[in-house]
Amino acid sequence: MNRLKLSLAVACTAALVAACGGGPPTSGNSGGAGGADKADYSQWLDLTGEQREEALVKAAEEEGQLSLYTSLSSKIIDELIDSFEETYDVTLEVYRASGEAVLQRVLQENAAGYGGADVVETNAGEMQALGNEGVLQPYQGEALDNVPDDGKFEGWTATRFNVFAPSWNTKAIGKGEQPKTWEDLADPKYKGKLALEVGDFDWYMALHDYWLAEGKSQDEVDKLFTTMAANGKKVKGHSVMAELTSSGQFGVAASNYTYIVEELKAKGAPVELEPLVAPAIVRPNGLGLMKTAQHPAAALLFKDWMLGDGQKVLAELNMTPSTDLEGALGDTERIALDVEKVVKENEKWSKAYEELLAGSDEVK
Amino acid sequence: MTTASPALGQETVAEPARWRRWLPTPKMLILGMVGLAIGYLALVPLYYLLWGTFFDGNGVTFGGFERAYGHSQILPLIGNSLWFAIGAAVLSLVVGTSLAYLNVRTDVPFKALFFAASIVPLIIPGILYTISWIFLASPDIGLINRLIEPVFGSGAIDIFTIWGMVWVEGLHLSPIVFLLMVAAFRSMDPSLEESALMSGATRWQVFRKVTVPLTRPAIVASILIMVVRSLESFEVPALLGLQNGIYVFTSRIYFVLRSYPPDFGAAGALAVGLLVLALIGVAMANIVGKSGKNFQTVTGKGFRPRPMELGKWRPVMGVAIVLYFILTVIAPLVVLLYTSLLKFYTAPSWDVFKTMTLDNYRELAGMSKAMTALQNSLALGLGSATLVMAFMAIAAWIVVRSRIRGRHLLDQLAFVPLVIPGLVLGLALSFVYLRSPIPIYGTLFILLIAYVTRYMPYGMRYAVISMHQISNELEESAQVSGASWWQTFRRVLLPLLAPGLLAGWVYILVVSFRELSSSILLYSPGNEVLSILIFEQFEDGEFTVLSALGVVMVLTLILLVSIAYKLGAKVGLNRN
Repeated sequence: MNRLKLSLAVACTAALVAACGGGPPTSGNSGGAGGADKADYSQWLDLTGEQREEALVKAAEEEGQLSLYTSLSSKIIDELIDSFEETYDVTLEVYRASGEAVLQRVLQENAAGYGGADVVETNAGEMQALGNEGVLQPYQGEALDNVPDDGKFEGWTATRFNVFAPSWNTKAIGKGEQPKTWEDLADPKYKGKLALEVGDFDWYMALHDYWLAEGKSQDEVDKLFTTMAANGKKVKGHSVMAELTSSGQFGVAASNYTYIVEELKAKGAPVELEPLVAPAIVRPNGLGLMKTAQHPAAALLFKDWMLGDGQKVLAELNMTPSTDLEGALGDTERIALDVEKVVKENEKWSKAYEELLAGSDEVK
Repeated sequence: MTTASPALGQETVAEPARWRRWLPTPKMLILGMVGLAIGYLALVPLYYLLWGTFFDGNGVTFGGFERAYGHSQILPLIGNSLWFAIGAAVLSLVVGTSLAYLNVRTDVPFKALFFAASIVPLIIPGILYTISWIFLASPDIGLINRLIEPVFGSGAIDIFTIWGMVWVEGLHLSPIVFLLMVAAFRSMDPSLEESALMSGATRWQVFRKVTVPLTRPAIVASILIMVVRSLESFEVPALLGLQNGIYVFTSRIYFVLRSYPPDFGAAGALAVGLLVLALIGVAMANIVGKSGKNFQTVTGKGFRPRPMELGKWRPVMGVAIVLYFILTVIAPLVVLLYTSLLKFYTAPSWDVFKTMTLDNYRELAGMSKAMTALQNSLALGLGSATLVMAFMAIAAWIVVRSRIRGRHLLDQLAFVPLVIPGLVLGLALSFVYLRSPIPIYGTLFILLIAYVTRYMPYGMRYAVISMHQISNELEESAQVSGASWWQTFRRVLLPLLAPGLLAGWVYILVVSFRELSSSILLYSPGNEVLSILIFEQFEDGEFTVLSALGVVMVLTLILLVSIAYKLGAKVGLNRN
């Protein structure tokens, strides 16, 4: 009995030591492709048309499954899965989390040489970070022809755009009282009714740069933002923002995603965002193929499909598909977020926006 | 630890031959394994955290501290945090302790309500609980404000203040205190109070001079956990504080972890600050508990807690309890239930009632992942609660009873996970198990390890407090009668510890259903848990479906916990 326990203890200790023996962790930024084998996409990338699809479908169905890491909302991903699995005999396995968690997980797995994801689909900032880390496979295909230039990036391609626009509660804000320009958000009549989202520093950067480019002075721009911050309440999360706008806690939400508001509006909630304030600020969300994919054919097939038939599914769900921005936004002027700048100057803008919001009490 | 008590352990057992003393006995093996397991579970994430805090590519650095604390608003931030944390801790302590006392020691009416009052606020996910309170007490749309408007004017109550934050957090946390204190009061010999009463002390004097001092270890532990929990709380400050620019510690952690690459140095520096505070707290708790025999209320003498008669105070207390019950359980639950029947939240009116549907529940039932998630959450909750309490019962013996060197270190280690941000724990575990030859990554086991780690500090407090109350003489007599250490532990100590262990078990089971920050990084397709589902509905802005999910969770856990208490009563755990 004793001997048994002793050997058990020894075994456990050995296991613990083995588990510990991974060396010191790096501080998050694990960089570079790890030890997992590189997938070979080359045999399909140059193919076009039916030839490409046939070859891909055959290989993908042999692989049988596909692992997708994404921050897409579960409702949308469920529709996409149904539609994709109906067309092809490939099972989609989905890991769903926030953009930050997706990024961290992919980097961690990659550094350990663990091929978890075949395809990654998330926000611009995270995708660009993955691209810069060199873990994404450059893509080529006819589907790219339909994507606007501000949706094409090193290693990844926009599949949809999140559109930032002001929205308001129709009971709190009368007809004609709604914001018609971005400058209107600094109007004193919205004092105490306006809501700003604490994480939207990219929106802040885009609007800031747009106003400067338009010819406003730095002082004028700063004045507009400090007034907004002084008039505004702060909220964390876009869905909370929408929920509290629809319930009347907020009158005007400065920068919500249009699809969240459209969804609530469709249910009959008293929220509105049209006529859309111009210019609409658009931020791409995109898809990239992992260099370490275990199911490369299925991954490539999925990307082709997402830029093709998948776009229709997105459009039906009130999303803004990347291949048909005009269809979604009409002739509203739009400015695209400078993705590379967001990644490079992340800390600067994040801090500036945080301080803008925190300083708001003093301006009162 | 108990300096006044005679030495226990090997020394008191008949002296074995010299060479045999070097062979590990079963006792040493068990103690060793528990110690190793705790050390391992706590040190892996701690090492990861400290490494990220003090080392960058070039060597030792303190840049993280500069970035974390060198913020222009750091002083108001610390002030807000402390005010919020101490306020919430005091509120939950007062509420939880009074309720526990009334429940266990008096003939207060409506005892059946206590059970729900002690569980429901723990089950409702923090985000939902806080949003319910916005709908109740926002100056703009709050239902309570609308009710009292004719008397007090519009917007009389403002939930978006530091007092509002204290209120919501304090009420949300009070069940933890309640559970801790119920266990402490159950194990207390009432004859001490009775003799004080006989000697002419008033009830209030008895409470202040006898009852409170006797339960001091439990009270200190409650304060400790509450303060640390409130310092770390995210939902309440994010939803109620941010709106009017009240920033706290955790808002900083959120901002520094949000950027890319996440600033682990700064997040670590903030966590290290919390760690120092918490370790001072644990040390203080140990000093308070040190006066040994003073708290040992479970002794060789038999006792039967007899409820104290409240007399004329009985109806007053009855009203107070019903009020508390309405505030912490009924009001938020009604808001949840109401919201779960709508398509989107609107203030109640006749028209709204006509449009109510069960669609949200239907959607929930149609969700393929919902059943799997429920099963996984159940398995993880039951597994982690049982494992933690089993390990911590033994660990508490080591800390309180044994004279092994470094036993206090074990206590401190078991407390460490409380201050490690969930995301950092998730990263640390995935780092280790991605490289481990044992295929744990990508299975439910990695979640189990994460949960056991996260809930170890609570389990330890529950177990240590109970252990402090049990007199050595019971163990000694068992050993004198020839029982081995393991027999004594199993047949004497475990049954006596049972109220505390059960309370800890219930607590862990319930809160494990809400664990998100490390689960989100560690789950894999097929291993979803309920909190992931909640997160998804939340992100999608499906508040009505989320409310339905909240209602289902409350019902499931109430059922489970009732079964646990019934079973507990059967084997004599519950003395009511």
